[in-house]
This record gives sequence, C-alpha cells and structure tokens, in this order.
Amino acid sequence: MKKQFFEFLKKCFLSGLFFALLSMNSAIGQETISGTVTDNLGPVVGANILVKGSANGTQTDFDGNFSIQASPDDVLLISYIGYASQSIKVGGQKTINIVLAEDASLLDEVVVIGYGTSKKSDLTGAVSQVTAKSFENQPLTRVEDALQGRAAGVSVSGSGAPGAGIKVRVRGVNSITGNNDPLVVVDGVFGGDLRTINPNDIASIEVLKDASSLAIYGSRASNGVILVTTKKGAGKAKISFDHFVSISSQARSIETLGSGDFARQKNAGLIANGADPAYTEQQISALDANPINYEDQLFQTGIGTNTQLAVSGGKDNLRYFVSGNYVNQTGTVISNEYERFSLRSNINLDVTDKLSVGVNLYGSRESEVNNPDDFNRFKGSSILKTLTWDPTLPVQDSDGNFITSSNFANNGFNPIGTLLRSNRDRAADRLNTNINVGYKFTNHFKYSLVVGASTINQNIESFIRDDNPSDANPDHTRVAYTNFRNTSHQVSNILNYNNSFNKHNLDITGVYEFQGDRNTFNSYNTFAIATGGIYLADNEDQSRENFTNDGNQNAIQSYLGRVQYNYNNSLYLTGSMRIDESSRFAKGNRTGYFPSGAIAYSFNNLPFLENGTTLSSLKLRAGWGQVGNQNINSTARFSLTNDAGNYPFDGSTLVSGSTLTQVGNPDLTWETTSQTNIGVDIGFFSGRLNASVDYFKKTTEDLLLRTIIPGTSFAKFENAGVVDNQGIDFSLAGTIVQNDNFTWDSSFNLSYVTNEVTELVNDVDQILGNIRPVDGTENSINVIELGQPLGQFYGLTFLGTWKSTDVLPEGIQAGDAKYLTDEEGNSVFSTIGNGLPTLTWGFNNTFTYKNLSLNVFINAAHNFDVYNQVAAAINGGAGDFRDDLSPLSVNKWTPQNETDIPRRGSLNVLNSSRYVEDGSFVRLSNLKLGYTFDEVIKGIESLQVYVSGQNLLLLTDYTGYDPEVSSTPVNQDLNNTDAGAGIDIGAYPNPRTLTLGLKLQF
Amino acid sequence: MKNYKNKKSIVKRLAYAGLFVAISATVLQGCANLDPDPVEFNLPPESFASLTDFDKGITGIYSTLLSAAQWTTFYAASWAGDDITTHFASNKADFRQFDQRVVQSTNGRLLNNWNAIYNIVNTANSLLERSQGMENLDVDQDRLNILIGEVYFLRGMALFHATRVHGKIPIPLTAIPDPNIGLSEQVDVYLQIESDFMEAEMRLPDVYPGQEAGAPRPNKGSAKSLLARLYLDWAGFPVKDVSKYTSAATKAKEVIDNAALYQFELSANLEDLWKVANRFNNESVFTISYCGSCGFNTANLKDGILGLPSDFGGWQETFAEIRYFEDFPEGARKEATYRTDLDYTTFSDQKSPIFKKIAGPVDDLPAAAFITDRNDFYMRYAEVLLIYAEASGRSGASSADAWEALNMIRRRAEGLPYASADSSIDVTSGDLAELAFSERKWEFAGEYLRWFDLVRMEKVEEALIARDSPGAIQEHNEIQGSLGTSNYFSPVPQAIIDLNPNLGN
Repeated sequence: MKKQFFEFLKKCFLSGLFFALLSMNSAIGQETISGTVTDNLGPVVGANILVKGSANGTQTDFDGNFSIQASPDDVLLISYIGYASQSIKVGGQKTINIVLAEDASLLDEVVVIGYGTSKKSDLTGAVSQVTAKSFENQPLTRVEDALQGRAAGVSVSGSGAPGAGIKVRVRGVNSITGNNDPLVVVDGVFGGDLRTINPNDIASIEVLKDASSLAIYGSRASNGVILVTTKKGAGKAKISFDHFVSISSQARSIETLGSGDFARQKNAGLIANGADPAYTEQQISALDANPINYEDQLFQTGIGTNTQLAVSGGKDNLRYFVSGNYVNQTGTVISNEYERFSLRSNINLDVTDKLSVGVNLYGSRESEVNNPDDFNRFKGSSILKTLTWDPTLPVQDSDGNFITSSNFANNGFNPIGTLLRSNRDRAADRLNTNINVGYKFTNHFKYSLVVGASTINQNIESFIRDDNPSDANPDHTRVAYTNFRNTSHQVSNILNYNNSFNKHNLDITGVYEFQGDRNTFNSYNTFAIATGGIYLADNEDQSRENFTNDGNQNAIQSYLGRVQYNYNNSLYLTGSMRIDESSRFAKGNRTGYFPSGAIAYSFNNLPFLENGTTLSSLKLRAGWGQVGNQNINSTARFSLTNDAGNYPFDGSTLVSGSTLTQVGNPDLTWETTSQTNIGVDIGFFSGRLNASVDYFKKTTEDLLLRTIIPGTSFAKFENAGVVDNQGIDFSLAGTIVQNDNFTWDSSFNLSYVTNEVTELVNDVDQILGNIRPVDGTENSINVIELGQPLGQFYGLTFLGTWKSTDVLPEGIQAGDAKYLTDEEGNSVFSTIGNGLPTLTWGFNNTFTYKNLSLNVFINAAHNFDVYNQVAAAINGGAGDFRDDLSPLSVNKWTPQNETDIPRRGSLNVLNSSRYVEDGSFVRLSNLKLGYTFDEVIKGIESLQVYVSGQNLLLLTDYTGYDPEVSSTPVNQDLNNTDAGAGIDIGAYPNPRTLTLGLKLQF
Repeated sequence: MKNYKNKKSIVKRLAYAGLFVAISATVLQGCANLDPDPVEFNLPPESFASLTDFDKGITGIYSTLLSAAQWTTFYAASWAGDDITTHFASNKADFRQFDQRVVQSTNGRLLNNWNAIYNIVNTANSLLERSQGMENLDVDQDRLNILIGEVYFLRGMALFHATRVHGKIPIPLTAIPDPNIGLSEQVDVYLQIESDFMEAEMRLPDVYPGQEAGAPRPNKGSAKSLLARLYLDWAGFPVKDVSKYTSAATKAKEVIDNAALYQFELSANLEDLWKVANRFNNESVFTISYCGSCGFNTANLKDGILGLPSDFGGWQETFAEIRYFEDFPEGARKEATYRTDLDYTTFSDQKSPIFKKIAGPVDDLPAAAFITDRNDFYMRYAEVLLIYAEASGRSGASSADAWEALNMIRRRAEGLPYASADSSIDVTSGDLAELAFSERKWEFAGEYLRWFDLVRMEKVEEALIARDSPGAIQEHNEIQGSLGTSNYFSPVPQAIIDLNPNLGN
C-alpha cells in the first residue's frame, strides 16, 4: 500500500507541482484593472489593451477577459484588427467592459491554436477557420456539414442516413489500417464526436493542417486536428430562437426492369433452357397493368424539425451561454427515425482578478429507430436487396401475410417486409463536463487547468424479423440487447508566459497532460423466439442464447512545450516539442517525440504595403514538424483469440472453443508523419480580399498496418510501409461588392492532393484489402498497391463480349463476358480504378440586398472513380443475385445481335471494370433565400425567415444514387475506409432537402 | 456593505473549495495507467497452461472445420462427378464450372474453400505450438496425448481434403507459415497426411469417451479408416504407387476386425441413415456435427431446400444427374438415394432428379428447410468395407473376407439383412476390384465422393462422355472443358497466387 502510494506520488509529481504552484499567492501588489471585451457576437479574443504612452500592454484571453496594471490617470487603448479602436480613461474604475464595433476594413481574426490562441496575422502554420458566421446561412443539424467545402484541405463524406457517421479527412489520408479520423478537441478536451455536437453552440471551428501547428498534439495529430470552440455569453442578455422544418426525399432513382419486363425476361431464359415459363401471358399483363416498384416502397419523404433556444449574456464577473436543441427526423428510408435532445451550459466566473473558473456541461440523448446502416448484412444493404428483389411479388399477399422469399431474383428475405416488421432502437446518452480554471500569477504568467470527463452510455434493443414463423426457418426472428459504456478523462495543466520587450514578443507554453478511457460492453442475443415481443425474449431454448462481455482500456501521458517569438510583428518563429507515452505500445516502444519548427515573415510593416491600396498585406510561412498516430485497437500489440467458435459435439449443445485470431507484436510503435508546409497569405484592397496558398508534403512512415499473415487468417499489426501525400490548398475570400444596399461576400477554396504508397511491408508490391464483393466470394475488391494511391479498386478488366467470329478459348461461349487475361489465358485481377478524389473545391456566396439575402454554396470533387457494386448486383448471376434486373438486359448478346452486354446465363463477375464509373461531380449543396425584418414587434431585435434547399442539383456521370457516398463502414478497424473509398455497395444517398425556417432574436 | 463583502468571500471560498476538489479529483484519478492488465479482457497467454485451455482450443479447431464444411463450398469440386449437377443459370456459376470442367482460378468457391481449409491447418499448427511443453506440466498425460492426436487427425484430414481437389498443395507445419512456401510434390503431400493420421492412430483411444455414436470426435478406428482412404488414392492417379493397395486393404481390415471395439457397424436400413433422428449413428467413422437449432453459424446449410426444385420452393443448387439416375439399379438403395416420389420430368424450371440424401427423406425435414441439424458422415463404414474389397482385388489378395465385405453392401442395397448370406445377391467370383468400384458408384451417389473415384482410376472421360441420357431430357450443363488428366485438379485460386507467386499453377 505504502509502496503504491509512493509510486503514485512519483507518477503524479508534475501535477503535484502544479498544484503547489497554484496555491502560492502572487506577491505583486499594484492596482489592477480588469474587464471584458466583447462584440455583438460575444467575447473578443486577443484584443490588445495598451496603456497609452507606455509599453504596458496585454491581450484578452479566450473569454475576452483582460487585466492590466494602470493608474486612474491612464488611458487604455483597446484595439483589435477589424474593429474600430477605442480609448477609455481609467478614472476610478476597477472593471472596464468594452463593446467593440466592427471596422469596415476587416483584416484580421483570432484563431484558436492548440493550448492557446493567436492572431491570424501571427500564424506561422496552416490553419483553416470556419466561424459561425460562415455557416449560419445554412440550416444545419450536423457539424460536419458546416465544414464541407468551407475549409480548404478538409473533405467530408458519409452516409445519407440521419445520425450516421460521417467521414472527415484533412489533407488526404495517411493510414492504411489505422483510423484516419482527425482528432476533435472541444473546448480543450480531446476526443469529441462531431456527430453529437449541436452546430448552433459553435462559435468557431479551426482545422489545424500542417505539422508545425499539429505537432503540439503529437501522437494524435497525424490526421489533422479539429478544434471546436463553443459559444460564451457576454453583455446584455440575449435570447435567440431558431426553428426549421425540412422535407427530404431521394434525389435520383435507379432504373431496374419493371414487373412485366422482368417476367418476360425470366420466361425467355427458362424457355431457352428447355424449362417451362414461370409466368402466363395473363399474369404478365396483370403485372404490366399494376407494376410493383420496390424502390418506391423503400424510400419515403423524410420530415425533420430542428428547434433551438439559446440564452446568453453576462453581468459583473459572470458570463453564461445556455442552449437547448431538439432535432427530430424521419429518414428517407421507411421506418427510420432519428431524434436528439441536447443541452449546453457554459458558465464562466471571475472569482478574483486573478482566478477564473469555467464550467461547460453538455448533455445529449440521441435515439434512432432502424438506422438503415444496421440492416447492412454481408450480402448487401437494404437498398441493394430492394433493387434486386423479385418485382413480380408484392410485399404482402391479399390476406396481409408477408411474402418473405421468392424463387427468383434476390435469394434473401424481402427487405421491405424486414424493415416494416423490425424494430432496432439505439439510444445513446452523453455527458461531457469540462472545468477550466485560470490563475494569473502576473499579467504575463498564468496557469490554466482543464479537466474534462465524459461518459457515453449506449443501449441497443434490436428486434429483427426477416421471415414468418410458419416458414420453418428458425432464424426468422433475432433479438439483441447491447450495452456499451465509455468513460474518459483528461487533465491538462498549462503554464503560459507572454511578454514583450521593445519589439521582441515572446510566448512560452508548457503542458503536462494525461488522459485515459475505458470501454466496456455486454450483449445478449437470441433468435427464433416463440413469443412476439422483444421484452419477452427470454428464450426457453438456452442453446439459442448468447452472451458476450468485452472491453478495453487506454491511457496516454504527455509533456509538451512551445515557444513563439516575433520581432516587430514581422518575423515570426515557432518551435515546439511534445512527448507522448501510450499504453497501446509495449514499454520501450511507447515514448514518441514530436518536434516542430516554423518561420514566417510579414511584409506588412514595409512601406510599400503600409501605403499600398491594391496589395495591402503579404506574409510568407514555412514550417516542418512530425506528428504521430496511435489510432489502433488497444489490443493491437497482443495475441488474441476469438472465443466465438462454438462446436456442437452432441448436435445440440454448443461447446465454446477458442481460436487464435491475432498474433501479438511487442515491437509495435508509433506511426510518424513528417510534414513540410510552405504558404503565403496575401491581402488586397485594405483586407477586403484575402488569399492563402499552401503547399504541403507529408510522408508517413512506420505505417500501422493490420496485415493478414500470408496463407493464414491470423491478423498481425505491423509497422510497415510509407505513404506520401502532397498537395496544394488554396483559399480566396472577400467582399466583392459592398455598397449601401448591396453586398456580395464570396469565398472559394480548392484542394489538390495526390497520394502514393511508396513502401510496403516485407517487400511485397501489393496488399489485398479486406473489402469483399456482396456475392459472398472472398476475392478482395480493393487493394493497396506500391507506387499507387490508397483506395485502389481490384478486379477483372472487362473487354466486352466474345463474338461468334472469335477463336473461343476452352470453356468460353460466344456472348460470354471477355476479360483481360495473361499469357496462359487466366483472367487477371488488377487495379481498375481509384476512389480518392484528387481535386475538391467549394464556392460559397452570400448576396445581401437590403433585408434580403441569398446564399449559394457549391461543392465538387474530381478525378476519382466509384466502384458501382449496386449496378453489378442488379446484373445478377452471382451470389444471392440470381436474376438480371438491369434494364440493359433486353439488349443482351444474342447470335443475331452481338452486343457487348454478356449473353443471358453467362457468369457475372461483380468485381470487374464493367462496374467502375467516373465519380466526378458538382453539387449545389445549399441555396437559401432569407428575409430579415427589422423591428417588426417591439422587443424583437431581429426576425429572419428563410427557405432553402440542399442538394438541389447534382451534375455527374455516375449512374448510381450518389457518387459522394462510401459504403464501407465509417469507423471500423478491419475495413479501413480510405483503402476502400468510393465503393458503393448500396450506401444511403444524400437526400434532397427543402427547408423552411425562422430565426428570432430578443 | 459588510454583508456584501461576506457574500463575496463566501463565493470566493466556495470557488476555492471547488477548485481544490477539482484538483484533488484530478490527482486522485491517478495519472496515466500505461500498462493495463493484459488478461482483464481475455487476452490469451502464448501457451496453454491447462488441459481445459487446450481442450477449448481443440473445440476452436472443430469450429473452423464446421465453418469450412457447413456450406456446399466444401464439396464444390464434387459437382464434377457424373452423379451431381446444379442449376443451369441462377447464381450457380461457380458450381457449373466444376460440373462443366472449366474451373477458373477465379472461382469464388475454390478460394473460399482454400481459405477455410488452411484456416483449419493453421489453427492446428498453432495448437501444436501452444501445447508444446505441456508434457512437463502436472496434467493428465493420457488426456494430453489424446488431444494432441485429435489435432493431428484434423490437420491430416484438412490437408487430405485439399489435395483431393488441388493435387499439389503447400504443407505449412508452423503456426506462422513461410510466406514464400511452395507447392509440395504429390508424394510428399501423401507422406505428410499419412504421418498425421499415424500420429492420430497412435494417440487416439479406441472409443472417444463421452461422445455420441459415429465418432464426432475421432477414435483410433477413424484414423485407420482415413488412412485406408488415403492409401487407395495413393495407389491411383496421379502417384499410382500400386503397393499402397496392400496398405489400404491392411488398414481397412484392421478397422473391420476391430469394428466392435471402435463401435462401427453398418446401419440395418439404408433409408434410415439420412433421417435427422439418425444423424449420430455407428455407420459413420467420422461425423461433422451441426446444430441448426443453435443458430445459423453452427447449422448444416447444404441440405433440404438446396436440393429441391423451385416448384417446391427449392434453391436448386444440388441436383442429381439424369443418366446416373436412370441407370441406377432399382431397389431399396435407389429409393434411399433419390426422391422417387417426385417426378422430375414434370418440374417447371430445371428437370433434374432429386437426391433424397440432400433433400431429405419424405417429411423428415421441415418444408423449405435451409438450416438443418443434419450431420455430415465424412466417411462411412460402408466405404471401409468397399475399400477392403477393392484394394484386396487390386492387390491380388481376393480373400473370402474381401468378397464378404462387398456382399454385405450388396445385400443391404437390396433391402436385405446385410449379415445373412444370400446366394441370389452374393458374388464370389469375377473381378472383385471392378465389382467393388462400381458398387461404390451406387453406394455413395450424391455423397460428394464419386468424382474422386473417377480421378484416381482415370475414368473421368469414360464417365462424363456417357452422361447424356437416352431419354427426352438431356443433361443441362454440357461439358465444356477437357476430360483429360491435365484437367483433373483444380487450380490454386488466383487470389492466393497473387499473395504468393510461388504457389503458381
């Protein structure tokens, strides 16, 4: 016990030290003036406070607070770029609160950087900032939508199902196996989930992109860091109310054979093989008259409402922002519903001039019913099943009984019947608490403590009914309960010293931090229950009951330091070092060192710019740094067995067995990304137009790779391979037209990224991916290939059909599909496409005429392919897809008409280039027209009503629903989504949405 | 004023107290625990510490066998035989490639089966490695010996299954195989399988304690029976080491002589053998057990609906061939083999006969059963008898016992008691080997064995050329590929060669 205590003391020495430091009282006893600087949106961060005629100055902190030594005769100069400067005589005041008004010439903003803030003009690295201002014009239920197309170098894609995971990538993808999700830090606390944050609570989002800004986050930063800052209250109490209703529907349709045509094709096939036709002429005419359209039965119009109420303000030493949000959506797929309540309370209190305490609480409850992604089975999603199901059979017969299977087309259960009779509820409760304490020893030296704790409790109650009990399939009902709990904590101790000596400005930050999380889950499942209800599912037959308990635990401990220096606001230097120790790696391999350095030079002080009218600012930046990645399973370094391998020796009792599934690797260590960034920021016309261009090159070494040991099914994590990313981020933003009645604000950003795998483990030149086609075969459909980008499609090269005039190889008939072969005549699997776009851009415009505003937002991606496995399955003849439902099948090869569509009954290979399509697209993401009433009713500060449409127009050659969706699971360790980007196995498309809303402010 | 000040100081004190609590909580949470307990969430040690652990590993290897064998994929190569065919269209292209003798290296079933079989082999290798040193532990050494024997049996069986499909195969013997491993010569493959079965034969008990009938866990007799099957193959194509006929006969005879000890015997009534109620019976010398009612993952998914035509809601995967059916000698055995109650010529979709062995005896399986409890009789005692007869004949040692072994099968085929001599049925002269060979044709129809008989005796062309029926309905999937010996074995799957070019065909 005693030994443990000392061990503990030793471990915690540093935090003990900080504690000791904190309890010391500052000995400086001068007159201190404190206050808050705000604007009409809230606190102003980084405003300069200067005692006129002296070098005594300070900046507001992140909450807009400042304190400064001054005498009653002094005059304080408060300035902030972009705002009109103010001078205020101190007089007898101890507290001075200042409200700044915007200056016409917008030039600079404050951006949040790791463990602090910086003026944008002081940045040495590449940071994209998205403020509430830029997305308040678009009705949002999700944070990711705010990022899409608004930050250069950030790409967003995901499922169209409400509440489903969305993939966010910063500057391409590095990891083959590890997770490529960026780190999300909410108000200083790691590990946020963008999906669950209420976008209306967000003041700004910063995306750190280059290594010199990322290195401060060390081992978690290799995929970029997204810093989310929530709103804080200030000034007069304000109430804002926001409400919108959205109506969503499918934007596109996929054509398949109609009921009558399917029957005719089926009959023709049967007759050609000497069998009897399956449909009589009478039946066919009846089907022609009353066709059954399964696509129409799957999709519906989704209705959503989003209501938000926020109260914010501040008085004396207390500031508050309290908000509540309620989202309710029905999906565009039948039976899918989503609901989210959230509550936020951000309270900040200045206890004394030196001590401030803030508490941010965020609680949310998400619940959903029948998320269509949960109905994805190994033979495809509900969409895929729907498009390939027998169109001659209705969902229910005339007596109302469900028809669950058919002799033709898809061999699975009727997907509509399954969705209508199943009920899969998922509910997740989250509570994030964040306490931050600031203590100023002097005006130049302060300590902050950030303590975050969060809990997620998730419960799934699933009742899936595929078949009818009368159909004698014991698997007709499946019941599962799953409970998942995640708890995590973080403690960051931050010391900051900031001072100026003549023209030398210095800022030093030191941090000690530790974090941990623990995940546990347990589940119960059973099937073939005799009773109908989920809560009665205590199966009498215990051989049908399964229980699982599992969990994992991770911890990380970090030390870091950063020095920022600038000379005369012209020359900027930044250097940092972070040391991380992670429990994911064995002792000896667990410590990672992540250094960075950056330099920038601003020409703003030079005469030609100071007086310039066209060119008004110019800054060059260059930086280098290293960041790490540890985003692998907490068990990656251990050998693992799977205990799910049961065997019924006596034919009725399952005996639990275990098999080796993973071979341990104690040598596993950090994946390291080195990145070089060179950028330039240019301002024109006194800052009305700003442009940034960044070039970057990232090299990721010691790639964490989950390999399958060749010749086995055992997994092993290895450090193997190198991936390079290089590219350009460009952004241009400004006010194009500005006069009394009309303004046009516009921003454009563009990213170009290329990606190449430059080295692979054990000198192999390719590693087959883990994604399989939906026909149940084990041929990979993705591959990681040396010298090529990640996300290669793997398959046969389709060359049309064999013609009757060809010399036919053995076993081939005229009309069969012709594939590229090697010299020995074997079909060759090779790379046939790539799903990672190299070019993406977004163009956002807001036009304001008097009280009318119009927002147009367009985003696009180019140079990538989509592997259309939906089309492949519709062509039938493989796996569960027994028949051809493609409208092209009427033009199949026949001896009389030798088309390039393979003959009836020929083998259909799903993984072939026949199903690779160009995915490039341009999308009208948002179109919004709003009108703001001034002073309609006394007491209402403003009222805006608007109508908007999302995804109104999509220009693409892709024949599926949506080229932007990726079917592969968003966060799954086994199937890395980026090594399989652009594979469409029946993903839920982005709906077209029409929104009506109003915003009120009191 | 004083009051206000007090209030302020209370707030101040509270805030300090709060701060103190926050920091204390921080400190007491205990920094970072960088070495989590590796066994908290069931992480395995690198070696077994107890027989219970080892036994759990053995159950694990059976589960890999079950996953490999629960689908028709395990037997897909047998669609090449003249007894079995599949639907002419639908999603059965992979089976048609075997049936029509044009097996592509891209065939999905071939790849899945390869992976499943090597999963058994690798799991067996990992068990052998993890059990090393257990003889030095204070554990029941007899039990340990049996468990090790069981691993050898399963590895030998998996390799044997693979080589019958592919011929030359790689033989990994370590848990982590050489990534550049090549194909072994056919003789070396046989030697390894022989060695595994001999290890099993030596270590396994006469009867595995506490098991159902039919050796769901193998006994000494199971290992001997499979050795006999191995020697019969070894004597035929491609190695043609005819000295192995003697070994086959000897091994089979050892089983026959000790049948009572191993608890093997012929079932009195052939028809009953395929009833679900008889899924554990003494005729099976090694049984792969399933439990459909325990769930999809442990169910047999090869029978019932898969062998029925669409007229009965069937999935039309496994059909009988017409000529074979028409030629089949009438009698009890034909009734036990086919669903003669269904007139295939009236089927609306594909007009092919139905195997009772697949679709199940009338009313035995529930209607439209896909998930069943039926077991696989991986090898029947009847085969041991016929191996003895054939191998004796081929090695020129046609004894009275060998004739009797053949006659037992012939009598039962007629629905007569197999142990009672019957001069109207019995044969005692002629070419014992050929008589036994053709007896196998009828006895094992639809049991995925016929193709391998055709291969070892190089009778593929002879059998398949004569497939067409004299009747109105012709066989559905015409032969497209070569019937020569060069096309007997299936290629190594392309995806496997892509990973390791040394396994190139």
